[in-house]
Amino acid sequence: MSEGKKPDPLMVAPWKDPAATPYIRIQNVTKKFGDFVAVNNVSLNIYKQELFCLLGGSGCGKSTLLRMLAGFEEPDGGQIFLDGQDMAGIAPYKRPVNMMFQSYALFPHMNVEDNVAFGLKQDHTPKKELWDRVKGMLEMVKLSGFASRKPHQLSGGQRQRVALARALVKQPKLLLLDEPLGALDRKLRESTQFELMNIQEKLGVTFVVVTHDQEEAMTLASRIGVMNLGQIVQVGTPTEIYEFPTSRFVADFVGSVNMFDGRITDEDNDYVRISSEDAGCTIFINHGVAAPPSAALAVAIRPEKIAISRSPPANTQENCTQGIVEDIAYMGDMSVFNVRLKSGKLAKVTQPNLVRHTDDAIHWDDHVFMSWHAASGVVLTV
Amino acid sequence: MTKAGFIAQLSCAVFIGLLSACGGSDEAPSAAAPAESTEATATPAPSAEDNVVNIYNWSDYIAEDTIVNFEKETGIKVQYDVFDSNEVLEAKLLAGNTGYDIVVPSAFFVARQIQAGVFQPLDRSKLPNYKNLDPEIMTILAGYDPDNQHVLPWLWGTTGVGYNVKMIKERMPDAPLGSWDMIFKPEVVSKFKDCGVATLDTPAEVFPTGLRYLGLPTGSQTEENLAQVETLTMGLRPSVKYFHSSQYINDLANGELCLVLGWSGDVFIARDRADEAKNGQEIAYFIPKEGALLWVDTMAIPKDAPHAANAYKFLDYILRPEVIAAVTNYVSYANGNLAATPLVNEKIRADPSIYPDSETKAKLFPNVVNTPEYDRLTTRAWTRIKTNQ
Amino acid sequence: MSRAGYLALGDQLATSAEPLIRNLVRLAPIRILLNLFGRLGLRGRGLVIFLPYAWLALFFLIPFVIVLKISFADQLIARPPYSALWELSEKGYLTIKLNLNNYRFLIDDALYWKAYLNSVKIAFVSALICLIVGYPMAYGMARADKAWRNILLMLVILPFWTSFLLRVYAWIGLLNNNGIINNALLGLGLIDQPIVMMKTDFAVYVGIVYSYLPFMILPLFTALEKMDVTLLEAAADLGCKPLKAFFTITIPLSMPGIIAGFSLVFIPALGEFVIPDLLGGTDTLMIGHVLWNEFFSNRAWPVASAVAIAMLLLVLVILYLQSRFQRAAEAP
Repeated sequence: MSEGKKPDPLMVAPWKDPAATPYIRIQNVTKKFGDFVAVNNVSLNIYKQELFCLLGGSGCGKSTLLRMLAGFEEPDGGQIFLDGQDMAGIAPYKRPVNMMFQSYALFPHMNVEDNVAFGLKQDHTPKKELWDRVKGMLEMVKLSGFASRKPHQLSGGQRQRVALARALVKQPKLLLLDEPLGALDRKLRESTQFELMNIQEKLGVTFVVVTHDQEEAMTLASRIGVMNLGQIVQVGTPTEIYEFPTSRFVADFVGSVNMFDGRITDEDNDYVRISSEDAGCTIFINHGVAAPPSAALAVAIRPEKIAISRSPPANTQENCTQGIVEDIAYMGDMSVFNVRLKSGKLAKVTQPNLVRHTDDAIHWDDHVFMSWHAASGVVLTV
Repeated sequence: MTKAGFIAQLSCAVFIGLLSACGGSDEAPSAAAPAESTEATATPAPSAEDNVVNIYNWSDYIAEDTIVNFEKETGIKVQYDVFDSNEVLEAKLLAGNTGYDIVVPSAFFVARQIQAGVFQPLDRSKLPNYKNLDPEIMTILAGYDPDNQHVLPWLWGTTGVGYNVKMIKERMPDAPLGSWDMIFKPEVVSKFKDCGVATLDTPAEVFPTGLRYLGLPTGSQTEENLAQVETLTMGLRPSVKYFHSSQYINDLANGELCLVLGWSGDVFIARDRADEAKNGQEIAYFIPKEGALLWVDTMAIPKDAPHAANAYKFLDYILRPEVIAAVTNYVSYANGNLAATPLVNEKIRADPSIYPDSETKAKLFPNVVNTPEYDRLTTRAWTRIKTNQ
Repeated sequence: MSRAGYLALGDQLATSAEPLIRNLVRLAPIRILLNLFGRLGLRGRGLVIFLPYAWLALFFLIPFVIVLKISFADQLIARPPYSALWELSEKGYLTIKLNLNNYRFLIDDALYWKAYLNSVKIAFVSALICLIVGYPMAYGMARADKAWRNILLMLVILPFWTSFLLRVYAWIGLLNNNGIINNALLGLGLIDQPIVMMKTDFAVYVGIVYSYLPFMILPLFTALEKMDVTLLEAAADLGCKPLKAFFTITIPLSMPGIIAGFSLVFIPALGEFVIPDLLGGTDTLMIGHVLWNEFFSNRAWPVASAVAIAMLLLVLVILYLQSRFQRAAEAP
């Protein structure tokens, strides 16, 4: 799992500043389609120049929320403020918002140039300025030589860039991107991710991106809102989401995780001890948790935070369990081990392949010890 | 568009283009090529075993029980189709293989059809009732059919004026009833525009009538006279609701029309229908004092008639005085059967507009056969009138 | 012609007809026929391609050649009423006589030009009205719920279940001075004189538009149904108002449907005879009527054939233009 590190943002995190006014304020917004509640009482603040990702599985309501921002759907309840202005009843063509569609929605009967120029023509931009801006935009997305091609004559990546250029040429304050990289192959996706981030920084536009791809969200986002069943379950920076998930859903959805059920046996302000039959050991965590004593809870431990060895570690009393290696997947940069614990549970461990070859390598059916740091476990009550 | 798609469209378009023209037969023209033709038409398939007779007659032109009685008496099944235009009948006859055993063309069409070799000469030995026919009518027919070889009279009538008594009186109390002025004087006919004026859709009847009204020879086939009658007819054009040869029966009966240049019997059918419907429309007919066309519709057997023997039986049946008298009683057209006259209802027999007195009869005139060139000129003139060009 | 529409229809038919076809192929006469074709070297694909061509040759090419032949003949009082083109004399001379006068006639007499022009005008206006009336209907159908869409499609096709002639006749009852519409209006006191509708150009337009509307709606529907609606959202998102988006996005993208529908109405309306004859006034001059007159009143089969051939050429020109437009519109 790549823990995508954002280049140091020039701005401070405005969501930490209580005095900052959010650029987009979503308040208790609900949207129903018949009996189906697509978006359920969502409140969310997004700040200027953020690159905010809405992350979730299909049908979680992320696209509906995006479409409400664009104005294609009207909320059934709640309000959306954009730059302080209530957006209720404002038609899509009047909003200072542009969207990049998942299918790109390029006009098939217009060439690249005309597609990009379309938005400016609607604003009656003077001819000279219009074509200068279109030209500049095509240069930026490296499509200068393709101006007179029709969309069907372009590759997927080129179409994606035309769609982006078309949305950006109007210099919107807010750009909505619906699965912007979904239709691209892996290589192209990685390079495009960084291109998107560069553009976002260069133009200072606020981006709201909808994606089901956690890796994309991790790489791109300044903050991520994880959605499930029409609700936002957690909002945070990629690191927060990954390292400090607040629910089993988020821990499980973002990256892979070992989840051990257990009960608190001993606790204090600065530590907690949890006995877990699942894990087959006592888990010690070096900070306190807000949970009632003896409440049923789970401890989530990321596979890469577990050390695996054939010889026992120094401390086998706590944060250490044993099992039999059932499966090894060699991934090149690392290997994934599936270890069957005494409880019958299958635990996952990843180890970077630090050296090319070692005689001490772990094999199938080896009896192994697994251990982790007291700070690695995350206690989840929901 | 794919090539196949283009061809499919092409064929569709061509069929539309040919619709009216591709009934044509491909055989070499020959004056006598009856049964070998291989062209099939939509009419009943001939078959020697069928004990049927196929008749093609004008619409509304037979008594209700004429066919039923014939079928009862002979056991021959009658298949009876109707038309309302000599032109349609002629086109079918010229194409050949109509499948009909008896057709009923008007006499002045017959001359050309005989020339084209469409009909078989009649064998009078198979028509014992031939003796009943009116010599006067037969003389008129001989003008089209020398020696009366091919055709027998069905019914005859006049082309005059039918009108709605009340509607005319309301609009023009001193209307010149009894004169063609009703139709051909623009200032008269225009008074009736609002209640509906119609004329037959055939120059072959309207133009000779117009020539008569102008005092020109009705048989003249000169362009100058035609131009005059065209101008005359143009004068009534603005007042005419439509040109049609059968629709006026119903429209006159239900008050959609108040004045027509039409066939005597059809006007009477309209009158009877109005009476039956008790809708308060009173319909009447007159033969104008200037004179009117006398026409005879005739029965003939096409050369390629599949059931000629049955056709003779039917013709002889029609020649019986009581049979044709019943038809006359029903459709109010006079017949060409002298022996039948006493059997015709008194009311019809005494009606001078059906059985004209000798004074009126003297004013009636038959139509003449046009040359093809003159036909074309009249059709063109007629089209100009109808389309108001 | 909207290929996609017909293909879709064909697919539907093929799926539902498959068991039928399988059973049909087992029937003895068909088996024998297929066997025969097989011996002639026509199997499978070859047979499938051969059949439509054979059909076209039989029912299009041969009648066409006959009409073409008659158009070069002389008018005669005979049965049939035209002369032979060629004659083989006893001495073995083959004489071929082509009479070009019939065509000269068409050029000389203004009547024909007027009739052609008027037919083109009526067909064009009818097609235009069909487009204006049919477009919103096709649009509504294409944007309706799936369940509704099939019902609406059915409703458009439903009139074809009754005879065309009967449906045109029904209009007489509606449009007459004593007809349903006038009686209703009189009864409601909206008018005190019947409105004259029958026997006018208005009635002709009503008849043609009514009869040919489905031919406009169906290709439009297939074109509009194919259209990606997110394109309209994209247009709105870029600041384009709905009406403008309709003209800059929807209309251009449905152009293949518009062209197909327009020609499907225009071409048959051009040669329409029945509707103007039943509903039209006497001054509705259309080429179908001129043709009728030549054939019936003048007994001039050769001239009638020449009129038909000239009209065919006119239609060919239109089809050619249409296929060019279509290609331009379909090239995305």
